[in-house]
Amino acid sequence: MEKNYIIAGFGGQGVLFAGKIIANAFMLAGKNVTWYPCYGAEMRGGTVNCEIVVSDDEVSSVHKQDVDCVIALNQLSFDRFISKIKKGGRIVCNSSLIKETRPRTDIDYIFAPMTDKAIEFGNHKLANMVSLGVLSNVETVLNISILEKAIDMVLPESRKKLLHTNIDAVKLGIDKETISL
Amino acid sequence: MESYSDKQLIKGNYAIAEAAVKAGCECYFGYPITPQTEIGEYLSQRMYDLKRGYVCAESELAAINMVIGAVSTGAKAMTSSSSCAVALMQEGLSYACADELPVVLVNVMRAGPGLGYIYPAQGDYYQAVYGGGNGDYKITVLAPSTVQECIDLTYRAFYLAQKWRNPTMILADGLLGQMMEPASYGEYPYPEIDNSSWALTGAKNREGRAIYSCARDEDKQNEHIRHLFRKYELIAKEDTDWEEFNTEDADIILIAFGSMTRNIKAAMKVLRAQGLKVGAFRPITLSPFPTNRLNQLADNVDRFITVEMNMGQMVNDVKLAVNGKAEVDLINRPVGQWLSVEEIVEGVKQIISKGVQYASI
Repeated sequence: MEKNYIIAGFGGQGVLFAGKIIANAFMLAGKNVTWYPCYGAEMRGGTVNCEIVVSDDEVSSVHKQDVDCVIALNQLSFDRFISKIKKGGRIVCNSSLIKETRPRTDIDYIFAPMTDKAIEFGNHKLANMVSLGVLSNVETVLNISILEKAIDMVLPESRKKLLHTNIDAVKLGIDKETISL
Repeated sequence: MESYSDKQLIKGNYAIAEAAVKAGCECYFGYPITPQTEIGEYLSQRMYDLKRGYVCAESELAAINMVIGAVSTGAKAMTSSSSCAVALMQEGLSYACADELPVVLVNVMRAGPGLGYIYPAQGDYYQAVYGGGNGDYKITVLAPSTVQECIDLTYRAFYLAQKWRNPTMILADGLLGQMMEPASYGEYPYPEIDNSSWALTGAKNREGRAIYSCARDEDKQNEHIRHLFRKYELIAKEDTDWEEFNTEDADIILIAFGSMTRNIKAAMKVLRAQGLKVGAFRPITLSPFPTNRLNQLADNVDRFITVEMNMGQMVNDVKLAVNGKAEVDLINRPVGQWLSVEEIVEGVKQIISKGVQYASI
């Protein structure tokens, strides 16, 4: 069983960081995993994204043409990746910055006001952590205890004091009241 | 499934850089270029902390010549770059071969020709294997396919460079350099090679010595080149390396190098599930190329299909190895998005059904 995820947003939204947490969490869950970012000039043009491939077997290819699950933190990312989602796939959207539209009928949508929740919590930069919480509701492997460990692995030593703030922001996303399906 | 207890997610470029440190690299010289800049970035701090040598050179030509200078004193040294900038180092490689110096060079390939832009590609197969320098020479070329191999083959590159006193290249690509994957460093697994018989360490208590790239005598120059080529034959005999999967009963063998390897293995599984007897073959050393093994396999295989992110370069070495005993075809795309498993499966079916020799996607 192989599945791929793309997380995308503006530069500065912490997309690559959140992607690394997802990849580490799946690794901790015993899966084979790869993480591949957009790089160089592509990143200077607006959206940043990275792709995570998770497999029980050896990962078949690192950068695929279609995707099982997209986590979109801004409208540009929603517009860019909506057509790449496989039939029956899913998009998890930051409804603070994305209009709640459903242009395709063959995929699942999850909308949650991630940036608003993060601002309420005290820092808009934590919207990426809220998104991980929202994702965790539908990806059972990514439970809070595994995400906690993964965040700890990805946070550099100099930022370790922010560990609990990040974890609390993830918990906000797990709170089902924030989600509209 | 392997246990991840000792593994961490590591980016390919950082894997190469830290493996170089663990292999005992004492000096790094380089000039930044996407998609390998993280190697120099990482080493700028790491080498400083370890009190080893680090120079952000003024140009690639300077960098390769700094490596030549450092290794001629017996130090382990490395440079890294990408495609169009590795082109600038070709003169240095020719000299290092003639001088028999253990230069280690990393090429994290991007698109070409010319400036070519930063997309991943595999267009430097010829540049690496056949070279752009002058004269008769061969470097050793290792092509990693995973982040773990970025570590393992960096270790091996330092070892082989020392063992044979020959420049050794790690040929990776932008995809591999930029991606992260669980991997572990372990320890540098090779013995240290004694270089006291040739390294320029100062002539205290011994005769002076020098390293020359040429002999000013026709006979000696002939003999020097023959000596180099006897050495290349020994490298081929002792250190040619490859991997093969399901080749025992295969009618068709898919061949790829570097990070395309995982895609052909996955395509092989899909095609096997559909009842086609497909195997996979992957040279680990591109130079020396596993010519003899492919020639053996060709006795029982109908068709070899190489899958490359270029316009068809390794395919010609496969043709030379197979030497007419089987069909040799190509599935390729010049740059960018790696050929997907579905595209490879589709390409193989097209080739089988039409008997075409070219499925450019």
